Amino acid sequence: MSALLLVPGLLLVLAMGVAPLLAMALIGFWSVDEMVLVPDLSARAWLEAAGSATILGLLGRALLYGSATVLLCALLGYPIALAMSRLPPLLKGAATVVLLTPLYVGEIARIYAWRILLGVNGPINWVLVESGLLDEPTRVLLYTPVSTLLALVYNNLPFMTLAIWIAAERVDLRLVEAARDLGGRPFAAFRRVTLPLTSPGLLAGALATFALAAGDQLTPALLGGTSGSTAMSMIDSLFGVAFDWPLAAATAWLLLILLLGVALLVLLLTARLPATRIVLGGGR
Amino acid sequence: MRSGRRLLLPAVAVLYLPIAVLVLFSFNDAEVMALPLSGFTLRWYAALRANEAFLAGLLTSFRIAVPVGLLAAGLGLLTALGLRGAASGLRALVLLLLLAIFLVPKSVLAIGQAMLLQLAGLSRGYWALVLAQATAFLPFTTLLVGAAVLRLDRRLEEAARDLGASPLVTLRMVTLPLLAPAILAAFSAGMILSLADATLARQLAGPVQPLSLVVASAFQRELRPDLNAMQTVLLAVTFLVLGLGLARRHRRRRAARPAPVEPDHAARRPGPRRSAGSIAGRC
Repeated sequence: MSALLLVPGLLLVLAMGVAPLLAMALIGFWSVDEMVLVPDLSARAWLEAAGSATILGLLGRALLYGSATVLLCALLGYPIALAMSRLPPLLKGAATVVLLTPLYVGEIARIYAWRILLGVNGPINWVLVESGLLDEPTRVLLYTPVSTLLALVYNNLPFMTLAIWIAAERVDLRLVEAARDLGGRPFAAFRRVTLPLTSPGLLAGALATFALAAGDQLTPALLGGTSGSTAMSMIDSLFGVAFDWPLAAATAWLLLILLLGVALLVLLLTARLPATRIVLGGGR
Repeated sequence: MRSGRRLLLPAVAVLYLPIAVLVLFSFNDAEVMALPLSGFTLRWYAALRANEAFLAGLLTSFRIAVPVGLLAAGLGLLTALGLRGAASGLRALVLLLLLAIFLVPKSVLAIGQAMLLQLAGLSRGYWALVLAQATAFLPFTTLLVGAAVLRLDRRLEEAARDLGASPLVTLRMVTLPLLAPAILAAFSAGMILSLADATLARQLAGPVQPLSLVVASAFQRELRPDLNAMQTVLLAVTFLVLGLGLARRHRRRRAARPAPVEPDHAARRPGPRRSAGSIAGRC
């Protein structure tokens, strides 16, 4: 009975989520003849995408940006999430609003703001020069991989922090206290108790952050300058400018397969880690 | 532990830094956005009132955001309620699909949707964008409503049924009023995410020009303080939507506090007329 309630949402997801992705996989096998799509069964696009040094390089770059973002977001988000989990209840509500605010600001507005901040004459350079840290404004901040990475970390930090925070909320603080009472130093208590117990949140945050950062198109394109071309911008121009739909579709699917592959790899590598840690740490 | 809390202040500062800069320079009396500030002005806002592209874009954004919010919140509600009683296999399938929608890059999804629409002979534009955004934001709204569904005290619904209320009446008098804050939150989230989106709009808007696209095409050429004013107005609108939702939620939570405090009392005297009536009376 209640399964009927699922039908409308499921229909929308199938029509506007699953069908487009399947259509792309199919179009990857089609061919193009003088700007006209021909329904076909050709491996041309897949072979071209998988054999092109440019495309593989861009996929590698997506991997790199994704991993760097995950790493930085985890390092920054973990202490924030832990501190948030120890706030009094009243402040927790406020902290959620503060944390989610950047998500609610338009993606274009965020990118635009970073452009102002990081520019040669921007506020950050002004502060660096006025405080005597730099003799003259630096140009490494804008239209370089630095600006892309900064904005990617900013965009994704709320997701990572939220995921870790939810896990940290469930940690029984008495376990940490017990570890300390039994003579564990703060760091040992953290490594043996808090970290294993929050690792599911860390993992969920890492998977989400990786996919979101590796698939971002606007941020690198508008902030990265010459370094800003990504697999996504390549797919976009193949689709919109070159009208090579099969190659665009095949490249998009290679990106999806890459994302899925990394997610599965990470899951496989870490699946037993927290459990083993808890078992070994507790057994000793 | 206190050192941990001290860390939150710089974190807040960094999270708000870009927003602060946007707002700050929208009131700065200079063409060039550089420190030190040159003085206070409202002229960038005055310029906005004459800017027809901005006004049209803002209106278009709202014409898209409101149905997206309604659709995403409505379907999120149905999905969240449906998941509660679904068989575990179906449940896993739906959750997996929603997770996939969340994780697939929105730009990939948007290009796929654009390809499919064109193959099906449908044009891009208003409805294409509304449906695409509702799909992309469904995971968020389902999560928001689903969290409230999980917290729902099922005894209240059972009590209503025991006292002879039909499933539909129970839904209308008990379940929906209890879920109202979450549904409202899902609606604002869908609306705000729609206002914030540029990725889906780029591929699917066709001739329709929401504000995010107007701004994107303007600022690819240059940075202008009136663009800051534009963003600041949109931010103010966003916070208004957010603030209204939060205030309502807060009021409801305070009004509803006595009920969950005495679960014993509620269990002993499961008066659906009392709880459902008083809750319905409050909305």
